[in-house]
Amino acid sequence: MDQRQYIDLLQLQALIKESIADAFPGRYWVKAEIASWSPRANGHCYLNLVQSRGGKSVAESRAMIWKWHYPQLKTFFEETTGQSLQAGITVLVRVQVAFSELYGMALYIDDIDPAFTLGQQALERQRNIERLQKEGYMDMQKELALPDLPRNLAIITSRAAAGYQDFRNHLNEEGYAFTLDLYEALMQGEQAPASIMEALEEASRKNYDAILILRGGGSELDLACFDDFQLAVAIATCPVPVITAIGHDKDVHIADMVAHRAVKTPTALADLFLDAVRAQETKAIDLASRILNACHRLTAREELRIVEAESHVRRAVAGRIGALEQALQKSIGRISRGLLGKYADTARLRDTAAHRVQFAAQARVSAEVSRVALKEALITASDPRKILSLGYVLVTGKDNKVLKTVDKVGVGDRIGVRFSDGSLTAKVDEVYSDHQDNDKTNIA
Amino acid sequence: MSEKFDYAKAIAELEEIAAKVENPETKLDDIDALVVRSRELLKQCREYLRTVKEKIDSLDKD
Repeated sequence: MDQRQYIDLLQLQALIKESIADAFPGRYWVKAEIASWSPRANGHCYLNLVQSRGGKSVAESRAMIWKWHYPQLKTFFEETTGQSLQAGITVLVRVQVAFSELYGMALYIDDIDPAFTLGQQALERQRNIERLQKEGYMDMQKELALPDLPRNLAIITSRAAAGYQDFRNHLNEEGYAFTLDLYEALMQGEQAPASIMEALEEASRKNYDAILILRGGGSELDLACFDDFQLAVAIATCPVPVITAIGHDKDVHIADMVAHRAVKTPTALADLFLDAVRAQETKAIDLASRILNACHRLTAREELRIVEAESHVRRAVAGRIGALEQALQKSIGRISRGLLGKYADTARLRDTAAHRVQFAAQARVSAEVSRVALKEALITASDPRKILSLGYVLVTGKDNKVLKTVDKVGVGDRIGVRFSDGSLTAKVDEVYSDHQDNDKTNIA
Repeated sequence: MSEKFDYAKAIAELEEIAAKVENPETKLDDIDALVVRSRELLKQCREYLRTVKEKIDSLDKD
């Protein structure tokens, strides 16, 4: 049996090491993506660098940063780029190809070019922005309307975030009744986009007025997650207005761009809602005062209307009563006049009757007077003394009877002669009768 | 005012009453009834307006 030539593993590894050292004598600037990242307690940092193409890894290598390089390198990178050295980022690093008999090949990183990463990121970011614009995601949230009074809020943040407390305190400062539900998510690191998207998905299933994404403090690094394309799409397609408060003055993140609105600080975020509520309150107060004024004007007008209606009725009644009174007065006048007329007639009648009575009475009286006078005259006239006083005498015969004729007297008869103031007796001498012219009687 | 008071109707009735009273053909006996009715309506209108005013005044008290 032939004795085969061989070397042991160590010799082989040593040969490789030597060859590599010969083949790669210097340092090389290599572009690669950090696939994993693992700082160790001993101060060294171990990582895996990869190159992908079409979503598949086409090259991979172990790498490490020695503890004497790591702190300076890390600080330099983070200060320049504003993000931490972590998995997922593409870096340009200066490496020395090294080979260890025990651990195999590794790339020792002793320098890094942050400007390259920034450029890469900017490029990536720009590509994302262009794609979002092209696919119509940029303005989707802008088309949503925040309610006039946004009160039911979902907030996606980390419970421990200082900004979350600031936000809550400020929001509740004025005593408005907001409903605030917390959806916890990782707000930094490579897991952040997926975590935020999950929270967003959950919150958007409920009926919130707005969903807030609040980074709320912490490291100023690791903001690259807010430029994540998938997160941007999730925000853009959320049916509820999403408001971001990622809080970085230097840049505007893609999450800010696609959101309904973006503010910088937790206080500004709270102010957004406080302002909306205040505006509504002012509006309500204005409306109340307008209503009040209008009502006062209306009631004043109606009061006036009632007064007018009352005075209208009063005037109407007064007018009618006046007219009726006038009519009544007229009637009374007519009645009075009628009565007066009647009375006058009656009076006249009465007077006439009286006159008639009087007249009649007077007539009667005069007649009576006349009658009496006549009677008196007759009586007076028939009084012989009256006749005697006129010179006539009354002759009586023997029997003292008045002689009315001479026939009964004879010569020699004694006769009495009665004067008005006395009497005498005589003896008839002759008698002369008017019927016997020859007869002569002498009265002695 | 147990039934729902209709303010506009009451005012319209008052106007009607005034017109009726003004009408010389309306009898005095009827006017008396109209005056009674108008007093009742005016009272109701005032009461109604007062309750409205009270409600209005309570607006800025809350």
